[in-house]
Amino acid sequence: MAKLTLERLHKRYGELSVVDDVSLSIADGEFLSLLGPSGCGKTTILRMVAGLVDPSGGTIRIGDQDVTQLPPNKREIGLVFQSYALFPHLSVAENVAFGLRRRGVSGNELKERVTSALALVRLSAYGERKPRELSGGQQQRVAIARAVAPRPRVLLFDEPLSNLDAQLRDEMQIELKRLQSQLHLTSVFVTHDQQEALSLSDRVCVLAGGRIQQIATPEDLYHRPANAFIASFIGKPNRLVGDVAERRGVGGVLAVGGFRLPSAQVDAPVGTEVDVIVRQEAVQVHRHPVTDGIPATISLRSFSGAHVQYVVTVAPGVELLAQAPSTGDAASLAPATQVWLDIDPAAVFALPKRETQKRETHA
Amino acid sequence: MNAVAPAARRRAWQDPALLAPLTILLAALFLAPLLLMVPMSFREYDPGTGVVAGSWTLENYSRLLTDEFYREVALRTLGLGLAVTACSLLLGYPLAYVIARGNPRWRVTLVLLVVFPMMLNLVVRSFGWIALLSNHGLINNLLVGLGLIDTPLKLMFNLTGLIIGLTHIYLPFMVLMLVSSIQGVPRDVEAAASTLGSSRFHVFRAVTLPLTAPGILTGSILVFVLTVSALVTPRMLGGPTYKVMATLIYDEYMQLLDWPSGSALAFALTVVVLAFIWASSRLAKRWGGMA
Repeated sequence: MAKLTLERLHKRYGELSVVDDVSLSIADGEFLSLLGPSGCGKTTILRMVAGLVDPSGGTIRIGDQDVTQLPPNKREIGLVFQSYALFPHLSVAENVAFGLRRRGVSGNELKERVTSALALVRLSAYGERKPRELSGGQQQRVAIARAVAPRPRVLLFDEPLSNLDAQLRDEMQIELKRLQSQLHLTSVFVTHDQQEALSLSDRVCVLAGGRIQQIATPEDLYHRPANAFIASFIGKPNRLVGDVAERRGVGGVLAVGGFRLPSAQVDAPVGTEVDVIVRQEAVQVHRHPVTDGIPATISLRSFSGAHVQYVVTVAPGVELLAQAPSTGDAASLAPATQVWLDIDPAAVFALPKRETQKRETHA
Repeated sequence: MNAVAPAARRRAWQDPALLAPLTILLAALFLAPLLLMVPMSFREYDPGTGVVAGSWTLENYSRLLTDEFYREVALRTLGLGLAVTACSLLLGYPLAYVIARGNPRWRVTLVLLVVFPMMLNLVVRSFGWIALLSNHGLINNLLVGLGLIDTPLKLMFNLTGLIIGLTHIYLPFMVLMLVSSIQGVPRDVEAAASTLGSSRFHVFRAVTLPLTAPGILTGSILVFVLTVSALVTPRMLGGPTYKVMATLIYDEYMQLLDWPSGSALAFALTVVVLAFIWASSRLAKRWGGMA
């Protein structure tokens, strides 16, 4: 294991800049996610680290070694692909042995390390099978064992869970967390799924348009997004339009569709029209009036397990997505019912109007 | 029992029904006449009177092993088949690789160039090779003129000539099979090998080549079968004396009118070809890990 440093990394295809001046340092044993919408450059960064794509500029360092010019086979990295990319003509055990053999491991040591790598992903009984005889989740676990077995200096994941169905994805996330706590691998995990990034990572790097938007712990990213793009990208946002009515420190009060909405983060002066982002999960529906509650009426109800989701109308033409626990007294409200909304100001963000639009088209 | 049943029933008879027209056509026009030739291959042939009715003999078959001339032609044909297959593979693989992996803008053009010779008549192409390969052909005249050799190389009426001519004619089949096979190798799997420490050569040897085994197999079978059954080119580049199985069978039928011997040779060739296909598929399956 070693730390990984990217310095002023660029990738251009003709006029198009895919990765734009990315500098990033990942500590020894740290798990960092590259999060962003498709086309934000995250996979390109990963492939440059792996040596599969040549950077147009900048330096990649593993430990103290400059690997920018090294071919992939000299970098001592492990890469886990979205498509699994197992060798279909080799058995599971031979897939895992592939990288070990390339490093000159043979005989009993080879056997032992293949066995322990398969045990790590709980596939000990499957060594003699061919990859195609395994399920998608099992195949991805083989791919992880194959990448981990040669003890790479850096482990790279290219959207490894995207091809799995939802339930399997959750299981694999836990599997990855467990692996991470056992092996302390320096890992870079590319994903477009914020939930994956938030739950797996020590730090998350949010990218848009080939540029780093914010690098922060999952908690900071969620509660203290650095800018409009991130606030609208993390969590489940309601998007509204309003005006800044008051400023109080970094926060303030917003006027949205006739009601006043306190906000913890307002990036615009008083009087300007702003985009308002209200996290869905921070809008609670109550059957009875609450302090500072905003009156609303139910428009639609949909059940989603632990929660019930509502579409509520707060003013003519202003709708919000809200939720309530699926067991409380607000669990089964019919349309047109009068309710009160309790909105956590910490989950309300106001951003200059143009900025959001620009960032989104850019992304 | 339920709504699924009719659909399942429909599917059950649909496949055979779709195959029926071709099956009937082949059975009536190909298989039946072919089977009629089976008894013929065991008949005696008397050069004066023709096929001796009611006679039974194994001599038409045993001749292939006992008669030196027949044996030589049979071995020559197999050798030719293997040599042409090997040459097509060696020449075709790099070409197919360039087509499959090179700039996509050139792909159509290159495939058209590969296919282009197939648009020319076989006789014309073979004549082209005669003009190039004969004792006073283009190649020999050039080499003698440059002073590289004193006497012309013998490039026709022998194995060399047939290998050159047939490789040229059947190379496109091999290339087309290989192109689609190479295109089917996932790039991620190759990338995975290189991140695991494989050099570019090792990636090719350990991943690309085994994964294209099915393409190599079908291409090889195709070229081998076409080569051992080729008639026109061996006749033109081999002349009347340098014979292969196909030209021999043709002569037995059309010139000697010895149908029993001709049929026996034809069946023997079929059996050998089937054995070759069987053996090579087993080999390729084991190698490509598909077994």
